[in-house]
Amino acid sequence: MSPPSLDRFRSRLAGTIREEPNPFGDAVFRAEPSDLRDVLRSLRDEHGFDLLLDVTAVDHLELPDSKPRFDVVYILRPSVGSERVRVQCRPPDEDLSLETVSDLWKAANWAEREVYDQYGVRFRNHPNLKRILNHKDFVGHPLRKDYDIKKQQWLSEPDDLMDEMRKLRGGAEGEESESVLLNIGPSHPAMHGALRALVDLEGETVRHTVPEIGYLHRGFEKSAEKGTYTHVIPFTDRLNYCSSVMNNVGYCRTIEKMLGIEPTPRAQTIRVVLLELGRIMDHLVSVAANLVDVGALTNYWYLFNERERIYDVIEALCGARLTHCYVRIGGLAHDLHAGFEEGVEGILRELPKALADVERLVARNRIFLDRVVGVGAITAEEAISHGFTGPCLRACGVPNDLRKDEPYYGYDGYDWNVIVGTRGDTYDRIWVRMEEMRESMRIVAQAMKKMPGGPVDVDDKRVSLPPKTEVYGNIEALMNHFMIIMEGIKPPAGECYGSIEAANGELGFFVVSDGTGKPYKVKVRPPCFYVFSAFPRLTEGGMIQDLIATLGSLNIIAGELDR
Amino acid sequence: MIAYVRNIQDACASIFDGMAVTFSHLFRRPITVQYPDRIPRRIQETLPDRTRGHLEVDLDICISCRACEKACPIECIVIEDVRIPKDSVAGVDGKETARVKEPTRFDINLYKCMYCGLCVEPCPTGAIRFTKEFEGATDDLSRLHLRFVTPERREVVLRKGEGYEREQAEKARKKAEAAAKPEGGKQVDPPAAGEESKEGDKE
Repeated sequence: MSPPSLDRFRSRLAGTIREEPNPFGDAVFRAEPSDLRDVLRSLRDEHGFDLLLDVTAVDHLELPDSKPRFDVVYILRPSVGSERVRVQCRPPDEDLSLETVSDLWKAANWAEREVYDQYGVRFRNHPNLKRILNHKDFVGHPLRKDYDIKKQQWLSEPDDLMDEMRKLRGGAEGEESESVLLNIGPSHPAMHGALRALVDLEGETVRHTVPEIGYLHRGFEKSAEKGTYTHVIPFTDRLNYCSSVMNNVGYCRTIEKMLGIEPTPRAQTIRVVLLELGRIMDHLVSVAANLVDVGALTNYWYLFNERERIYDVIEALCGARLTHCYVRIGGLAHDLHAGFEEGVEGILRELPKALADVERLVARNRIFLDRVVGVGAITAEEAISHGFTGPCLRACGVPNDLRKDEPYYGYDGYDWNVIVGTRGDTYDRIWVRMEEMRESMRIVAQAMKKMPGGPVDVDDKRVSLPPKTEVYGNIEALMNHFMIIMEGIKPPAGECYGSIEAANGELGFFVVSDGTGKPYKVKVRPPCFYVFSAFPRLTEGGMIQDLIATLGSLNIIAGELDR
Repeated sequence: MIAYVRNIQDACASIFDGMAVTFSHLFRRPITVQYPDRIPRRIQETLPDRTRGHLEVDLDICISCRACEKACPIECIVIEDVRIPKDSVAGVDGKETARVKEPTRFDINLYKCMYCGLCVEPCPTGAIRFTKEFEGATDDLSRLHLRFVTPERREVVLRKGEGYEREQAEKARKKAEAAAKPEGGKQVDPPAAGEESKEGDKE
């Protein structure tokens, strides 16, 4: 297949599909509902856009063009490469349904369920169109603009998931006497957060898995529509709370893209250092917890000691250990503190020792190897179809990494490698993370060495608060100060998708602005949502203890999974 | 056969490897501390300067501009205020800044607060700031609802407010008198209007 090219797509489909101008430079195509599947299939098969990143919708009720009301957005990119394309399609108001693409991409299954859940757009021929984040008895569609944010509903009956399980088991109820149904989670120490999986067991072998998510759904996207663009930053901390600074950067970078702002060189380099420290923290948690899952408990302490060391540095930098809230639109909350450099040096000195310890403990350990090698394996094609990104996809041997594919913040200026696995099993996922920590350390060391001087906030009156001394001194600075606080930062109207390579994969933000100080819509593309959608595929046919080991290696963070 | 023997060899070797690593950790300095007792100093004293603990408000320098109230994403700050006769306070770096309002109520709901720090940044005088206190566990939620304006202070501020009302009434009366005298009216009006709009900007 030839390399992905939008130009070729443009020339091929000239006439049948309309390209929409986008103020932020994204490639956006508008498809008719009847052509949608053909357009998407052609993009996937003929033009190399094989990774469906996200499906979402925009409710145009309060925008000038409110007919038809909903705009369904498909975001695609090649599994290796930088180009990104959005295909948008407006289902007619009277029918409000589109043909499903869940047979083209497995990732579309959950993505379309989410659109149905949040917006009420139906997908014809979808295998299992039911709510995913909200409770099964929930009335209404919360992300519609006419759904009141303060409205409360009393929901008490848990979903027994038997509708899905019955479909999977097939046959009559009586024949199933051999198998046992077991609920793992939502409150189970091995489930890494409030996740639930209903499994159908035959002996110790998992025959069917039905995952249920949404226990930690707190309406991030609805809350984001309530305040100003700055108000969203502390909410992003709570997405992937193992590496909250990465979410801050991902969000702020998207808003900066809308505003056409490039952070100062110093801010960019500090962000790179923090992104890599965040990646290390995240991987430490993931690897440590995964090792506990397979019975190697001591490693947990050795790795968490190092995580503690990073937390100490970040605490001194921004004042909080877990929810950093350190990045601002156009800059950072503070400059580096005195002692940051020594702190980072300490991390770079001690972390390799801990990694070496862990490697010595487990690398040749028979029990460990038997528990993880070949467990929960997935091929690259399937992983791509499921929308895998990040370490889980790299473990399958696909060198997918936004830092290389679409270098931002000068990532192309550092000397580092993308780590890939070969088998896509639990062992590879653990080892990809272990090696990525080493690569991250290399980036941190290089970034600290070249740390440029200068301010950390951009000199742009639209986003940066003026210095306090000026606020007193001149009326213009005072007015500017209060405008930013009272009305908020105002990106130009339009739709924009921005993403970074977070610890778990591509963390994307699809933001719609109507030109006011309030975001019209903020949609997160959480990497582990799509990874978890493959959970049945990864666990079915394996042993029940392998299910636990596999889950740990996927690093599902409920905060970002459920939003 | 060779592979089988090597496997056994590996398995045995890895046990000793593991023991060696674990044993070496016996002689390393622990990274944990015995909280809350058995530490030489209170933990709060050892926290870094930027620690985002409980919020506090210095009402003597608060100009009631409500920037913090607006900056809070979850509305945990509630301010009520009155106009007072214009005076000035010493803010950051001791720089003088004018004050035309003073709060009669300044509540922070610490049990809603997520310690993000967005309210501290816009404060023009540095009146709202973080302390290093973080131990908020309590069996009584109302203890986390901080009310910075005490009833006594409220009385004082309200009296100041009444003073302002009187001042305004006086001004209005003088203005009306001046307007009654046709020749003096033009001289009194412009400065009064200028002052009004300047104050309006600062709100």
